[in-house]
Amino acid sequence: MKIKEYVSLTKTYRFSAGHRLFLKNLSDEENFEIFDTCSNPNGHGHDYSIQVKLSGDIDPETGMIFSLEDLDNIMGPVIDELDHKRLDIEVPYFADEQPTGENIAKYIWGKLKPDLADKLIHIKLSETSRSYFEYYEEGNYPYEL
Amino acid sequence: MGFKKLLTKMMEFSASHRYWNPEWSDEKNIEVFGKSAGPYGHGHNYNLEVTVEGEVDAETGMIINLYELKSVMAEVLTDFDHKHLNEDNPHFKNLVPTTENIARVLWDLLEDKLQNNPKCSLYRVRLYETQDLYVDYWRN
Repeated sequence: MKIKEYVSLTKTYRFSAGHRLFLKNLSDEENFEIFDTCSNPNGHGHDYSIQVKLSGDIDPETGMIFSLEDLDNIMGPVIDELDHKRLDIEVPYFADEQPTGENIAKYIWGKLKPDLADKLIHIKLSETSRSYFEYYEEGNYPYEL
Repeated sequence: MGFKKLLTKMMEFSASHRYWNPEWSDEKNIEVFGKSAGPYGHGHNYNLEVTVEGEVDAETGMIINLYELKSVMAEVLTDFDHKHLNEDNPHFKNLVPTTENIARVLWDLLEDKLQNNPKCSLYRVRLYETQDLYVDYWRN
């Protein structure tokens, strides 16, 4: 009987970025009501970390489920687009989407999915050491992530 | 619906390793494994998290006595801590000591020793190679 095993690999990447949460059609006061200090007109920033979780079979020749070098090469341009940027001004995707943790996680998932396909199972974006956001497709993995 | 009860204990060990597939040419090894193929190996401070699942004993209030789990982990890690995995650990004579393969070997060794305790079973092995890289391994 073949033993069913589940292996995942999680690698952390980091970037620092600025953002402001606000709605263009509202006044500064109204934005403050909704987004509180996150709507500070001149923006503010965070040191983000992003954990990318991949799953797959261990290749018998390399002992790996995915080449870490390839993963770095896929992540590099994605991180470069965000690192040391003001997200809502310099990253086109966030011109019309709030640059919240939820939306940044979704954005990164969309960027990685074409290259990582079924191997990509989970993304965790930490905005500070006290808040993080997760994004993944439900039901694709039999165990807790 | 029942409740899932899990207990996790962590233990650190330091080891060196080299990524090298003896069936390949030198060139292919260097192309695939890059810096990790250096001839003398390199090392990491690994952090092992072992999670066990079971019922909470009514008298002791425990899934497993942590002293028992600690001694099982320490015994298993004897062949890993302060060792060169390729040279000193027989499991990696013909197996590249990637984080994935180390986690798989640790699962086998831990599961074997935990079979002595009928009240709990191994649930997950999480192995950190660095703070920024870990592998999870489960089996059913």
